[in-house]
Amino acid sequence: MHRRNFGRLLAAAAFAFASATAMVSTPVLAQEEKTIVGGFDVGPGGFPGNFNPLTATAGFTWLNTYFEPLVIYTSDLSKLDGALASEFTVSEDSLSYTFKLVDTKWHDGEPFTSVDVKFTLELAKNADSGSIFAARLADIASIETPDEHTAVVKLNKPNSAFLSVLSQVMMLPQHALSTIDIKEVAKSQWWSTKPVGTGPFKFAKYVSDQYVEMAAYDGYRGGKPKVNRLINRYFANAAAAVSALSAGEIQFTFAEPDDAKTFKGNDNFRIIEGDSYVVNYIGFNHKAGIWSDLRVRQAVIHAIDRNAIISSLFGGAAKLANCGYVAPRLVPNGLHDYAYDPQKAKELLEEAGWDDINGDKAIPWLTYYNTPQVANVMAAIQAMLAQVGINVVPRALDVPSYSGIVRSEKFEEFPLVYAGLQNGPNPASLNIGLNAAQIPPAGNNIMRVEMPQLTEALNTAMAETDPSKADPKWQQVCKEMNAELPWSPMWVASRYGVASSKLKDFFWTPAPAGGPFVSHPEKWDIAP
Amino acid sequence: MLQYILRRTVVGLLMLLALTVLIFTLLRLTPGDPIDAYINPSVPMSAADLVALRTRLGLDQPLPVQYFAWLGAAVTGDFGYSIQRGGEPVLPLVLGRIGPTILLMFSGLAISVVVGIAAGILAAVRRNQFADLSLSTAAFVGISSPAFLTALLGLYVFAVVLRWVPAGGMLTPGAPFSVGDLLAHLILPAALLSIGHGALIMRYMRSSLLEVLSQEYVRTARAKGVREFWVIVKHAVRNALLPVITVIGSTIGIAIGGAIFIESVFDWPGMGLLMINAVVRRDYPVIMCATLLTGACVILVNLLTDIAYAAVDPRIKVA
Repeated sequence: MHRRNFGRLLAAAAFAFASATAMVSTPVLAQEEKTIVGGFDVGPGGFPGNFNPLTATAGFTWLNTYFEPLVIYTSDLSKLDGALASEFTVSEDSLSYTFKLVDTKWHDGEPFTSVDVKFTLELAKNADSGSIFAARLADIASIETPDEHTAVVKLNKPNSAFLSVLSQVMMLPQHALSTIDIKEVAKSQWWSTKPVGTGPFKFAKYVSDQYVEMAAYDGYRGGKPKVNRLINRYFANAAAAVSALSAGEIQFTFAEPDDAKTFKGNDNFRIIEGDSYVVNYIGFNHKAGIWSDLRVRQAVIHAIDRNAIISSLFGGAAKLANCGYVAPRLVPNGLHDYAYDPQKAKELLEEAGWDDINGDKAIPWLTYYNTPQVANVMAAIQAMLAQVGINVVPRALDVPSYSGIVRSEKFEEFPLVYAGLQNGPNPASLNIGLNAAQIPPAGNNIMRVEMPQLTEALNTAMAETDPSKADPKWQQVCKEMNAELPWSPMWVASRYGVASSKLKDFFWTPAPAGGPFVSHPEKWDIAP
Repeated sequence: MLQYILRRTVVGLLMLLALTVLIFTLLRLTPGDPIDAYINPSVPMSAADLVALRTRLGLDQPLPVQYFAWLGAAVTGDFGYSIQRGGEPVLPLVLGRIGPTILLMFSGLAISVVVGIAAGILAAVRRNQFADLSLSTAAFVGISSPAFLTALLGLYVFAVVLRWVPAGGMLTPGAPFSVGDLLAHLILPAALLSIGHGALIMRYMRSSLLEVLSQEYVRTARAKGVREFWVIVKHAVRNALLPVITVIGSTIGIAIGGAIFIESVFDWPGMGLLMINAVVRRDYPVIMCATLLTGACVILVNLLTDIAYAAVDPRIKVA
């Protein structure tokens, strides 16, 4: 064979190989069944690989497709409604909660009764079960079951956060779990193989690290689900999920703001935007010794052009925050707006004697956010602070490294952080990060804020169990934060989900920890 | 010989033990623990719940106590439960990931060998012609392209834009198993994994074949009227392959590293994805078991190699 023929032979072989490759086309799911595939555990609201609601710190969007709590937030997260409780009443002394239960059955056909409520709450209150709700349910004194459809929970003392906590405690079947030793419950394979709930979908299959599959529960009290199957696909990161969405393999995912923007104007997709309920702040470590003077803290916030960052780097998708809240009902009038004023920042620093406090020495600035957007935000702030003489050096860490450092006593390692803290729907969530009584190891006041007036305001608001009287008390917390600047509050950014326009009646909201919230999965539908 | 094998086995086991001590210590030296990975810092848990969780997982115990508790259970085959996966047993979890990694790695290697050798032969045969120049340029690009770039670019072009192949995973979720489905998911990550090695093999094949083609015996074969095809296939390629095979062997180690990276980009459920997720989430039981298993494989392969050497070469002392 001539050299040229040999080359042709090789070329032919290469062509045959390429053709064979192209012929292996992507299979699609059988179309006779309506199936929605989504990345429901992608992003900060998800918790892939966890099926046990007692140990779930997030992921409630997905858990809520097959388990249900007694009470649940409305879809706009404005108030709590009944879920497995058709109605609930609170006694005048705020010590007794009576739940009237819906008439429904577990996926295995057994009736759901008050015995299940008692069993679940006792399991969730007992740390031996691995429950992460144990401390938050510690105020429960007793649970009574006067009849099959009534459960009465009595507390030792009033607890303004009780119902909010209860919204994440998914009811569990006593008949299925009571035979498992309480210390073995968390390790049980039941959660990932045959869990039984009351929600619109039944657990069908879990393929480790790949996906979870649900089947429609025909007996759901809210009506038979419109789709036959619901699949939650796992992704190593949000970008991979966005690729799968773009490729038409899934119909929904959480998306980082930059990724969400790429779908703008594309009729094949619908961008869902919502409040993240997380206030981002520049946290001053009050034990670091360089932020003690209020004028220095004021200088930091005056030096940052927050409006410019919101408009340029967030594309306008963030709300300016001058305390830990942005919800209008929690923000009083007359707050200091800390407008961008670098000249004023310089003057404040000079008055405070910044040159002697720190001068141009580098200040490590830690964060656990690892997105390109946050990197840009921090770079912009770094440049703005440098203009007034504050030399910060951003450093992004993974979450465990960050949390490990900020809980330690090595204050020189984290004089400054860029972080976020949940500020709703229950406003009490800020207490854990700002109350002097919550300084580690006692709590999560990682910036070691010790401000007596702020602590008093938080304690007063926390003690108010009447929702109609609570808002003015939380406004006082906002006022104290605004005046004393335990942190430099920045903004509350929007969060995004992107759904295929094939999805009909699909509802999702970017709730903290994924909710849960009323989302009616039984109504979700998909066009062919 | 038996004594030699026993001695090497004991040394191997001691190395594994040292590896577990090293990994255990290093893991605990890194900031943060599974509890820190468990909670979203924006949605903090109460201190009492954190303490309860830490106690339940045994993380409140001193390090030596934690280590010996782990070791005591591990020698009985109990590698514990994954912290971050709702109590999934670790051993079956880790063992289940070996297959997908081997499949991906060897598919990538097979493509790189076939394409690399074929392209190397073509480039050598067409030396300094268009085919050679294009293939050599492609090989340089392939060798110098960072794996993350080619993986992401490949994903974007073939899965997102052209939609020829799925964007990730090993099987279509919810669909019944089929070889075609598996191949559709495998082809892109395997092809991307093969780029670097394929390019390297192509370069070696080309230069090796060029060297062989200039040998006297090739000229003699041509002078004897043997057709060019047979000159190349029977006389040249076989000899030129020898150094290439050495290169292929030495790139298997690199292929493991590449497979781990590709797994994370394509959500391929192998050891790499498992390890990366476990490290990010500080899932100590999974990291320890996966490390131990990988270490055991490496030590076993080395042991077998040494035994094979000792068996074939009497000059190696076995006493």
